[in-house]
Amino acid sequence: MRVYRDDQKFLQFRINAVLWGIVAAFVFLAGSFWFVQGVQADKYRGLSEANALREIEIPPKRGLILDRQGKILADNQPAYRLQVDRVVMKPLLKADKERRAKLIAFLAQVLQRPPLEVEARWEKETKGQSISQPFTIAEDVSLSQVATVQAQSIAFPELNVVPVQRRNYPYGTMAAHVLGFIGEVNDRDIKQNKELEQGQLIGKRGVELMYDPYLRGRGGAEYWEYDADGRRLSEYTPARKQPVPGDNIYLTVDFELQRRAEQYFIENEMVGSAVVLDPRNGEVLAMVSSPAYNPNVYSRRFAGDVYKTITSNPFKIELNRAIQGLYSPGSVFKIVMAMAGLSEGVVDPRTTFNCGGSGVFFGRRFRCWKKEGHGAVDVERALKVSCDIYFYNTGGRLGVDKIHDYARKLTFGEISHIDLDGERAGIVPSTQWANEKQNRKWYPSETISVAIGQGPLIVTPLQVANMTAAVANGGKVFQPHVVRYVDRVQRDGSYKRFRVPSRVLHEVELSAPALKAVRQGLWAVVNEQGGTGGNARVEGLDISGKTGSVQVIAYSGWIKAASLPFKFRDHAWFASFAPRDNPQMVVVVFVEHGGAGGADAAPLGKLLFESGFRDKVQGARLDLNDPETLDQIREGELPLPNTR
Amino acid sequence: MIFRDRGPNIDWNFLGTAVVLACIGVLLVYSATFYTEPTLTTAKKQMLWVCVGILLMIAFMVVDYHILFDIAPILYGIGIVLLLYLMVFGRLTANVRSWIHIAGFQFQPSEFMKIFTALMVARFFDSNDRAYLDVRSFLIVMGIISLPVGLIIIQPDFGTAASFFPLYAVAMFFGGIRPRVWVAMILVAALALPAAWYLFLKPYQKERVVIFLNPERDPLDAGYQVTQAKIAIGSGGIHGKGFRHGTQGKLGFVPEHHTDFIFAVLGEEWGFIGVSVVLGLYLYFVTLALTFAKHARDRGGTFLIIGLVAFFVFHILINVSMQIGVLPTTGIPLPLISYGGSSTMMFFIAIGLIANVEMRRFVNAP
Repeated sequence: MRVYRDDQKFLQFRINAVLWGIVAAFVFLAGSFWFVQGVQADKYRGLSEANALREIEIPPKRGLILDRQGKILADNQPAYRLQVDRVVMKPLLKADKERRAKLIAFLAQVLQRPPLEVEARWEKETKGQSISQPFTIAEDVSLSQVATVQAQSIAFPELNVVPVQRRNYPYGTMAAHVLGFIGEVNDRDIKQNKELEQGQLIGKRGVELMYDPYLRGRGGAEYWEYDADGRRLSEYTPARKQPVPGDNIYLTVDFELQRRAEQYFIENEMVGSAVVLDPRNGEVLAMVSSPAYNPNVYSRRFAGDVYKTITSNPFKIELNRAIQGLYSPGSVFKIVMAMAGLSEGVVDPRTTFNCGGSGVFFGRRFRCWKKEGHGAVDVERALKVSCDIYFYNTGGRLGVDKIHDYARKLTFGEISHIDLDGERAGIVPSTQWANEKQNRKWYPSETISVAIGQGPLIVTPLQVANMTAAVANGGKVFQPHVVRYVDRVQRDGSYKRFRVPSRVLHEVELSAPALKAVRQGLWAVVNEQGGTGGNARVEGLDISGKTGSVQVIAYSGWIKAASLPFKFRDHAWFASFAPRDNPQMVVVVFVEHGGAGGADAAPLGKLLFESGFRDKVQGARLDLNDPETLDQIREGELPLPNTR
Repeated sequence: MIFRDRGPNIDWNFLGTAVVLACIGVLLVYSATFYTEPTLTTAKKQMLWVCVGILLMIAFMVVDYHILFDIAPILYGIGIVLLLYLMVFGRLTANVRSWIHIAGFQFQPSEFMKIFTALMVARFFDSNDRAYLDVRSFLIVMGIISLPVGLIIIQPDFGTAASFFPLYAVAMFFGGIRPRVWVAMILVAALALPAAWYLFLKPYQKERVVIFLNPERDPLDAGYQVTQAKIAIGSGGIHGKGFRHGTQGKLGFVPEHHTDFIFAVLGEEWGFIGVSVVLGLYLYFVTLALTFAKHARDRGGTFLIIGLVAFFVFHILINVSMQIGVLPTTGIPLPLISYGGSSTMMFFIAIGLIANVEMRRFVNAP
C-alpha cells in the first residue's frame, strides 16, 4: 500500500514535464548528430583523412647531363637536409617557452654557425608558410651532424633528417659554362612559370637553364599516416604518386677534347676561350671559358660572402667567354677580308701588293706587324704570313660597307642562336652603324683598322668558329648547339630519344676560286715554312688555320709583347679546321692577353686536332700525361710524332 | 537476504541498462587507448572501476536509504572536511587542487560530495512537504548546496562546481518557487552574467566561451578539441568506421578521447547507429528512473531519485552537446562510459541509491 501525500499530484506533474523536456533534448541531440554524421559526413570524412594523412613531397631526380659518349658530367648525390616539423613543435613550444631558443642554440652548435644566422633562416623559412609543411633549417648536413641530431631525437623530436638529392658535377669546373648551374627558385621565376614552387631548385645558367623543363622531371608524393603528435606511422600506399625523373641530356661535347682544352688553359694559367665545332652539323665538340667556376658551389645554398667572392673575381668567372666575351678578331678577320675581296673581285688570286713594313692610307700611316715588310704578297702569302699591308689595300678597295656585308654573312654581328643563355652579338661597324649608333660620320681611315680586325669590330669566339666552319664547309652557316639529344625514360624503362636537329641558318655564296685560294692560304699558315701557325702542325693531318694577335693598346713602333704588363698584352687567336679536303673539326682558340696567336693559341689547336683525329694521326702520339711533354708543349718545342 | 526479501521489487531492466552502458564504456576506452597503450592499462583500470562501482552500487542498495538519510549529515560533514583538506594541502594537478592522493590512489572528493549533497537535499525535502518554499527553507537548501560548491570553486574546478547546478535546479523547481520569484531570479541572472564575465571568469574560460561561439577560429588551439571531435563524429557517418578503426581517436587527434570526448570515439567507430543506440539507452535509463521517482514511497525518496537523475541528465546532455559544439567544452564526463574511477564509482553509487528507493517503494514489503 502506498503512502499518499498532499503534494503527490504536484510532483508528478513536474516530473512529467521534466521528462518531456529531457525527451525533447535527446531528440534535438539525435537530430544534431544526424546533421553531422548523415548530412555532412563526406565533408568530415575528407577532413579526417587530411588530418591523419600528410602529403610528403618526393622531389624528382633531376636528369643527368652526359657528354657525347655517355660520360656523366652532372648527376645527383644523396645528401641530408635538416627540417623542422612545426606540427610536432607546436605543443612543445606551448609547454616550454624557452624551447625555440633552446632549439636554435642546439642547431647553432650542431651546424657550427652563429645562432643569429640560424634564427634569421628560421624567420625567413617560417614567414607566411603553412604550419603543416616542415621547413628546412639546414642543407648539406654532414654525416656526423646527422648523427648528432639523431642522438638528440628524443629531446628534439621536431627535428627531422631528410635524405635529398644534391646536384653534383663530378668533374668540378669541367665544362662549367656549358653545364651552367642550378639555384633556388626566386620570385621572378615563379612569376614566369606557375608550376614552380618556393624552395625548388632549377637551372639558372647554361644547359641546366636552357633544358630545365626536360631536366626537372615531375615531383611525386607519398601519403603517410600521422598521429596527433606528428609521429609518422605508416604509408597509405594506394594514394602514392611516383615522381617522374627528369630527362637525360647528351651533350655534343666530347669529354676528351673538352678536358684537353681546359687543361691547356689551366696549366698555362691562361684566360680565354676555346670552341671546337663540327663544321658538318654545327655540333659544339668543346667549349671552354677560362677561368671557370665550380658549379658544385651553386648546388648548395651559399652565404652572401661566397657570392661576393664569385662576383668580385677580376677574371669574371661566371662569364662564358665563348659566347659572351667580345673581342677584336684581329688577324683571323683576314679570312673574311680575303673572302670578301676575292668574291667582290677587288682583288684576284694573283693580285699582289708590295709590303714595305708600312703604308699610307687616307692620309694616315699604317704599319704592318713586320717592321721589315713582306715584299710582294698575293692573297695566299698574305694569309700565310698575315701581312697587314695586303689587307689594308683590300679593305681600302672594298669600303667598310662591303666588309660589313661579308662579315654579317659569315655570322658576325648577330647571335647564332646557340642553345645557351646570354649569347652576345658583338659589333660589325658600317657607315650606317656609325650614323645610327654613334651619331657620327664614318672615317675611311677606320676602314683600314677594320680590315685587319681591329677598330670598333668586336666578335665572340663562337662567331669566329662559325665563320671558320662556313669557310671549311663551303658556305653553310649552322646553328651551333651543345645538346645532341634528350633521352626520356618511358614507363617501361626504355628510352625515347629526341634529337636536336642540325639547322642551317643560311648559306653564303662563296665563289669556288675564292674558296680555293683562301683555303690554300690557310693551309700554308700551318704547313708551310714561314707560316704563322706552324705550332699547330700535326704530321699526317692537313690542318688549315689563321693566327691572330690583337693589340689591346695603341703603341707606337714595334715592341715585344712579353715586356708589357699582363693587361696590356695582345690577345692571341687561332682559328682553324681540318682536314683540309673534308673538314670535320673547327678549332678556335682565344687567349686573353696571351701574346701572339702563333705561339700561345696555336699549340692548343694542335693538341685538340691530335686528340680529335686520334686514329688519323699516324705514329706515336704525344703522351699528354707526361709532364715533360707538357713542358715541351709549353716551351713551343713540339716534338713531331714519330720523329725525335 | 536482502535480495531474497526485496528481490521481486528490484527493476532488473534498470540495473541491466546501467551495466550495458558501463560495458560499452569499457569497450570504447579500450578502442580509444589500445593503439597508444599496448599494455591496455587504462581499459583494464576502467574494468576494475566498473566492478568496484557495481559492488558499491550493491552496498548502497542494501542499506535502507532512510538510514542513509540519518547519517547524511555525517557523510556530508566528512565531505566538507576533505574539501577543506584539499584547500590547504591539495596538490596542484593541471592547476586544480581536486585530487586526494592516498596510498598511490587518487580520488576526487568532489565527486562523492555530489552524492552526499544530494542525500542532504533529499533529507531536507523529506521533512519539508509544502508545495512552495518559503524564504527560510529556500536559504537553508541553497546553503546546503552552496557550501561544497564554494569550496570546489576555490580549488578552482569550475567544471565540477557547475555540475552541482542540477541540484540547485531540482531544489528550486521541485521544491517549489513561486512564479514571481522565478521572474526576479531571471532578471538578477541577466544582470549577473555580464558582471561575472568581466569580474570572475578567467581568461581561459572566456576564451572557451568565445571559441564555443566560433570553433574554427583557431583550429590548432582551443577550438581544436571541438573541431577534431566534430571531424571524428562526422567522419563516422551512418555506419561508423568500425570498432578499433577510428583514426581520429586512435591517433590522438581528439584530445581526452578516453575521458571527456569518448562520445566522439563512439560516433567515429559506430557511426550514427551507435550514437542513437547509446542515446536511446540513456533515455530509457532516465525515463525508468523518473518513473521510480513518481512511485517512491515518500517525499525524501522522490527527491533523492530526482536529485541523482538530475546529475545523470546534466552530465549526459552537457557532455554529448559539447561533442558537436552545441555547448562549450567543459570537463564533464559522460556517465558510466567516460574513463575515470571517481566518476564511475559516483554514478554507480547513484544507481544503487535510485534502485534502493525503487525496491523499497512499498511500505509493507511482501
